[in-house]
Amino acid sequence: MNVFYGLYSAMLVGATPILLAAIGGAFTYYAGIFNIAMEGMMLVGAFCAVLGSFFLHSWMLGIVSAIAGALVMAGIFVLFAVRLHTDEFLTGIALNLFAVGLTTFLLRDIFHVKGAFTDPGIVAVPSITLPLLGKIPVLGRLVSGYNAIIYVALLVTIASAFVVFRTSFGLRLRAAGYNAACLNSSGVQTPGIRVWSLVLCAVCCGLAGAYLSLGSVRLFAENMSAGRGWISLAAVILVSGNPWGISIISLLFGFFDGLTVFLQGSAIPTQFTAMIPYVATLVSLYFYSVQKRKTS
Amino acid sequence: MRKQTLSGILGVLAALMIGGLVLALQGFNPFSTYGALLQYSLFSASGLSAMLSRAVPLVLTGLSASIAFGSGLNNLGQPGQLVIGALSATLVGLFVPLPPLVLIPMCIAASMAGGLLWSGLAAVLRRAFAMDEFIVTLMLNFIADYFTLWAITYPLFDPTALSPMTRPVSTHAWLSEVAGINASVLYMVAATVLCWLLMSKGVSGYEWRMMGQNRLFARIGGCRVDAHYVRVMLVTGALAGLAGGLMVMGGPHRFVKGLGANYAWDGVMIAVVANNSIPGTFFYGLLFSMLQQGAIGMELVTAVPSEFIDVLQAIIVLVVVAGRVSLNLVFDHIATRKKLRESLQ
Repeated sequence: MNVFYGLYSAMLVGATPILLAAIGGAFTYYAGIFNIAMEGMMLVGAFCAVLGSFFLHSWMLGIVSAIAGALVMAGIFVLFAVRLHTDEFLTGIALNLFAVGLTTFLLRDIFHVKGAFTDPGIVAVPSITLPLLGKIPVLGRLVSGYNAIIYVALLVTIASAFVVFRTSFGLRLRAAGYNAACLNSSGVQTPGIRVWSLVLCAVCCGLAGAYLSLGSVRLFAENMSAGRGWISLAAVILVSGNPWGISIISLLFGFFDGLTVFLQGSAIPTQFTAMIPYVATLVSLYFYSVQKRKTS
Repeated sequence: MRKQTLSGILGVLAALMIGGLVLALQGFNPFSTYGALLQYSLFSASGLSAMLSRAVPLVLTGLSASIAFGSGLNNLGQPGQLVIGALSATLVGLFVPLPPLVLIPMCIAASMAGGLLWSGLAAVLRRAFAMDEFIVTLMLNFIADYFTLWAITYPLFDPTALSPMTRPVSTHAWLSEVAGINASVLYMVAATVLCWLLMSKGVSGYEWRMMGQNRLFARIGGCRVDAHYVRVMLVTGALAGLAGGLMVMGGPHRFVKGLGANYAWDGVMIAVVANNSIPGTFFYGLLFSMLQQGAIGMELVTAVPSEFIDVLQAIIVLVVVAGRVSLNLVFDHIATRKKLRESLQ
């Protein structure tokens, strides 16, 4: 039973950053932006979270600065891709490189360390014990006592599904991706909608970054997003942006990620278990492509 | 072409100015910093030699990305293809006892075959199951990374070493120095010339470029796009693999942990700033290796951390790419006005 609980919580830990970043990516996906900058936004978010938490002694301000950092990245994306009409793909690649360079540079410049920064002064995001549900024997352990950002991720998923499918903003968002000319002629400025989608994406990626550095662990390491932004991009493409689909895929990846941690003590070398999430992405891409070929 | 060169030079200068501003804001002297950067790369014999060696993987992965992007393929798998190529060359260098005249070409062929195999895997998945190479090559990067790490941690591990690395390859596979310059540089220059001939003089290069500009047009014009797709994947994989092989044979002579880590995205970055042009890739490759090599000296003499170069590189990419679009608008505007004036007279 303990193995089950362990795997379950490891699944949630692995799924949360991917889920948050992918929800962010879904907003830009619906708005018709080929946004691959989630990786960079997440990384800057993770760094700013540690920065804010360490210097302002509050995890709340850590999360706020994570979101602010990701928003700055989104601002650069808007400046180049939306205003100056630079290719979105190129802007995304440059931003991801910028994020790696900037965070390693600032890590060295501000904290005077190489590789990773950890300090008792960093305030982590606390776990939340749900008041009534937490007392129920089995269910309580499944739903209560997890990191606050995990609950936020759940709320973000529900909210994003509501916003995208049930609000007029969501309709415009989808129209911006589906037929920008049509949206323009109906009197709504497509660039404006796209900017908002990037803002929402940055907020989600900032949260994902804060979870990486203040939620599951309490440190910042160079390039600690480790390809999660790319996996979340794959998740978005695989389910065409649907938030419910994204949550299922993220949980799947979280499960495999958790499995990685679990198999660490076994006879299988860690290098092979670490491959699992990436192989899982390829396998799900295989099923997606075969399915797509059948329907078309 | 001239427009591109001009906008590139202007972009790099603007980026250097922004970088200088960042330095000044941090309280460093931008002039002495840039001076140190040049001093330790271009203006010292050892620096220049090290800079040229460093340019080898940068230019070769840049060529790989340039040809792929220019042909309309999203091959982002250079890091993975590089480490697999390096591993293949290491294997041959470790276990094949032959004289240098045979062993060196064999190692080079093995590295290209390794990279080709890894990109070929992505090509097969695309052709057989319509799996998008964009995600496939990305995921294969991580898999290749862990696979090579396993290979050098367990089966090929050098028991005398402290961190994961293989034993040194046979001295017969070492690339010698020619007038202080590593022979791998010569291979890099040769590969660049070949790529340039292929892309701008050859028929298939023309067809590939057409594919990159408009796949449908190329197909209707009679290009066999599917066959070309596989070929471009194989060629670009082989180039990235060659980069890995030359790094092992010219540099540490063994597969060290993190061999490709520093060059992971640089190839893509260089292709992006060079706008997929082969000469552009070569020059930006040299520029970036100059910055990276100079960074080591810069850290020695000034207080600026070498990581500043990572920031500077990203600024160069953003400014050059965005500047190209905006400058083209300006150039078009000037050209139109000139034409208008001529037609009015």
